Amino acid sequence: MLGAFRSALATPDLRRKILFTLGIVVVYRLGATLPAPGVSFANVKKCAAAVDQQGIYQLINLFSGGALLQLSIFALGIMPYITASIIIQLLTVVIPRFEQLKKEGQGGQNKLTQYTRYLTIALAILQSTGVVALATRGQLFPNCQDPVIPEQGTFNLIVLVVTMTAGTGVIMWLGEIITEKGIGNGMSILIFTGIAARIPAEGSNIWTKGPLTFTAICLVGLAIIASVVFVEQGQRRIPVQYAKRMIGRRMYGGTSTYLPLKVNQAGVIPVIFASSLLYLPDLVSRLAGSSTTPSGWQRFVQTYLSQQSSWVHILAYFALIIFFTYFYVGITFNPDERADEMKKFGGFIPGIRPGRPTSEYLKFVLGRITLPGSIYLGIIAILPNMFLDITGQGQNQNFPFGGTAVLIMVGVGLDTVKQIESQLMQRNYEGFLR
Amino acid sequence: MKLFLQILLIVSSVLLVLLVLLHRGRGGGLSSLFGGGMQSSLSGSSVVEKNLDRLTLFCAAVWLISIVGIGLLVKLG
Repeated sequence: MLGAFRSALATPDLRRKILFTLGIVVVYRLGATLPAPGVSFANVKKCAAAVDQQGIYQLINLFSGGALLQLSIFALGIMPYITASIIIQLLTVVIPRFEQLKKEGQGGQNKLTQYTRYLTIALAILQSTGVVALATRGQLFPNCQDPVIPEQGTFNLIVLVVTMTAGTGVIMWLGEIITEKGIGNGMSILIFTGIAARIPAEGSNIWTKGPLTFTAICLVGLAIIASVVFVEQGQRRIPVQYAKRMIGRRMYGGTSTYLPLKVNQAGVIPVIFASSLLYLPDLVSRLAGSSTTPSGWQRFVQTYLSQQSSWVHILAYFALIIFFTYFYVGITFNPDERADEMKKFGGFIPGIRPGRPTSEYLKFVLGRITLPGSIYLGIIAILPNMFLDITGQGQNQNFPFGGTAVLIMVGVGLDTVKQIESQLMQRNYEGFLR
Repeated sequence: MKLFLQILLIVSSVLLVLLVLLHRGRGGGLSSLFGGGMQSSLSGSSVVEKNLDRLTLFCAAVWLISIVGIGLLVKLG
């Protein structure tokens, strides 16, 4: 393992890439702590210490690596890009033109990426306006009296919004140059950094509960990480046999490969969908009515849905995750298309006819294999809700040893290590994963 | 002075966003975000991209300097 690190650093090409990536990450973290112009840094510090992080901004704060609650120039973090790509991905099902672009291959994919980037900037303008509006009205830090933005002239606010929007643009660019010149997928590495940056703070938070609890939580965290790695790597390999055929004087095909179906085909996206959907009723009930005399449904939302320790919340979250896992797998993996492709190139699954029976078989296997995958996602995501007395109310998604954070960290980590590994393999070195 | 810096900040922000959008997208969308998805295609950066990189870097520097400048002015003033 350590030897692999040494050989990775000994290769000049790879070393340059790794150092480049680390450099960009440092720039990103520096930007995430630099307060935006017009924001009173001292007041923000005071407010952030006073506020309990229960609420709608939790997930956004997670993805920005805590930059949102500091109102830094990178306050929005990577969230606009994620939202934009989710929207574009969903739109490919709805809009025929997008579907056509998706099928077109590399060129169409590039066009879709370009749309995603435009949408990111548009969303960034919207979200930064929202954040600034919340901050000026004092709703970003509900229990705080000090003004976060001392001078609230229109021009100052415009400067703030424009700066944050440009910050999102810069983050997008940083991610892209990591993808291009560094190692791994830039966007996911930036998300990874944001989450990993919270671990020390969360760790010291837990440390205050006593060293015994701390050790126990660390052990549990390691076990969870190991199990996540285990399931993430799990896949069903459906054998595919390719028929031999002669083209001219050459013989093609005749090989037998397999079609890998991952247990967790959907990745972490269902968790993101479900948690952002669960915040909606909370948001609506906050916007809709007065807090002094809540009506019936508002009281229901406040006591059950937005309370993370209540079983209604946990059950709803779990059910939503299972639903979205199936939904997302249904969008991204198309058995008909896959069967068609196989038929076109003369491939078949042994014992099953090509064409419609193959696609039905794939659908069947996928449906069966997604069930444990979705249950696993749900369990990992609701796990921190069980530890609420230790971590404190409202720390759910931020808790680094469970939930969205671990899923993302492990997913990104595995991906990046695999990329380094494949680079090493080109040079015949022993890799990290054996 | 502060007004000048603020105007500089707005101009450089807008320029920065435009320049970033001019780049060729490398994100690859969400499918490659959290595991899965294919590796990005190997294509060297063209001269246009290189110059664009340089311009963007310059713009980002101006942007950063004006942010820090405003921050210092607020703190000292």
